[in-house]
Amino acid sequence: MTSRNTLSYAYYPGCSLHASAGEYDLSTRELFRKLGIGLTEVPDWFCCGATPAHNVDELLSLSLCAKNMELAEKVGGDLAVACAACFSRLKTTQHVLSENDVKRKQVEKAIDAPVPMKGNVKHLLDILARDLGLDRLKQAVTKPLAGLKVACYYGCLLTRPTDVPNLDCVEAPTIMEDVLKAVGAETVAWSHRLECCGANFTLSRPGVVIQLSHAILDSAKEAGADCIMVACPLCHGNLDIRQEEIEGVYDTRYAMPVFYITQLVGLATGLGADKLGLDALIVNPMPLLKEKQLL
Amino acid sequence: MKKKKMLLSTETMDVDFVRKVEALSGTSVRRCFQCGKCSAGCPMATFMEHPPNRVVRLLQLGQWQRILAGRSIWYCASCETCSTRCPNKVHLASIMDALRKLSWDAEGPSKESYVQLANRLFLQNIRTYGRQYEMRLAAVFNVKSGQFLKDLMLGPKLITKGKLKMFHQKNKNMTEIEKIFGRIEEMRRNGEAL
Ligand code: SF4
Ligand code: SF4
Repeated sequence: MTSRNTLSYAYYPGCSLHASAGEYDLSTRELFRKLGIGLTEVPDWFCCGATPAHNVDELLSLSLCAKNMELAEKVGGDLAVACAACFSRLKTTQHVLSENDVKRKQVEKAIDAPVPMKGNVKHLLDILARDLGLDRLKQAVTKPLAGLKVACYYGCLLTRPTDVPNLDCVEAPTIMEDVLKAVGAETVAWSHRLECCGANFTLSRPGVVIQLSHAILDSAKEAGADCIMVACPLCHGNLDIRQEEIEGVYDTRYAMPVFYITQLVGLATGLGADKLGLDALIVNPMPLLKEKQLL
Repeated sequence: MKKKKMLLSTETMDVDFVRKVEALSGTSVRRCFQCGKCSAGCPMATFMEHPPNRVVRLLQLGQWQRILAGRSIWYCASCETCSTRCPNKVHLASIMDALRKLSWDAEGPSKESYVQLANRLFLQNIRTYGRQYEMRLAAVFNVKSGQFLKDLMLGPKLITKGKLKMFHQKNKNMTEIEKIFGRIEEMRRNGEAL
């Protein structure tokens, strides 16, 4: 039990969590405070470059991530990341730079510093399920999410590619379900949990996003889910913000709330709606939560 | 595009181009044996004129101009499904990155200007602000792409929910980011990096 109060991380929120996904940031900070896990924001962090940077300029993408890791080193400890896309980029950078000497030297030149390789890059799920552990998570539950049927949506980047994020099995992960079952929810088996939502085409090709996200919403509904849980601001934008538009295009109705993982886990630990940013969700989750007597 | 017969000869192959792609992507183009598994799982294959396995095959045959002239590489969502499932460990998602980089460098003969425009604005935002400024990204994209009315109803809804910030917190350490962009440009000028 000596380690109970020693969990503490450098925290990289990323751009979305400071803008359109503010509720993910808020609920993460509140949940971690409640669980007694330390989070210190990396001072002066930069955008990790997300998909657009590695799409056309790998060296820039690697350099931006390496710079952030250098900044994180000043805080110390492992790096906690909430956004699946930031997580994938930072983790991939660490992997590429440890394997490829040529690229590492180029990056060191670009950031004018030795590449920091000490801390691990960890997704929040990893911290909850493994560092804290499911047993201790269970102990923190004051209001089990009994009767709530959740479709856990991994999307593309949480577990891929195989050799990089190493969060869980790439084709049959269970870490989201494990965490949710620990807080008393039910999880549904559904076909689209690893399918792509169209990601960053939301700006340039919304038609693509509407088609792919429609298939995901359909699959969750067919499996009997009450709601979807995500770990990525882009997935959230596509499934929650665009849901009404998708309903219009396909002449259907889902009214399917889309939660961030920290919102659902936070709810189970007794955090109130205001501490979890539930009012920022576009599809109103209140009717569902009241019906299940979770609020 | 007019249908051209594909010629299989050493003359039509472009070994230099393939080497560049392999250096950039850190993966082997030659290892692919055309099982098609990448394309079977690709969520974007239906939007592409050359699905992922054909992109690799065209590369093997030195027909890269066909790839760069089309929209396939710009319709790849970087979801990594292909790389995950390839039995030969061809990291196809990285090949897509490399091809986009090479197309980008040549100011892109590609038709997919919207995706390129979004990428350019995104990177410009990083250089100017250090972080993404989503509101500005969406606004400038709509103006530059001529889609003034696009997502009109989404805007007010997002602002009321606090999802689109009117003002942006700039990173305080902007000289640092400018230096990174500058050094990379210099390395490329000196031929130290692709
Ligand atoms: S899965 Fe791999 S080997 Fe099979 S066609 Fe695609 S790249 Fe080639
Ligand atoms: S990374 Fe691109 S090519 Fe590969 S499966 Fe995803 S969308 Fe298709």
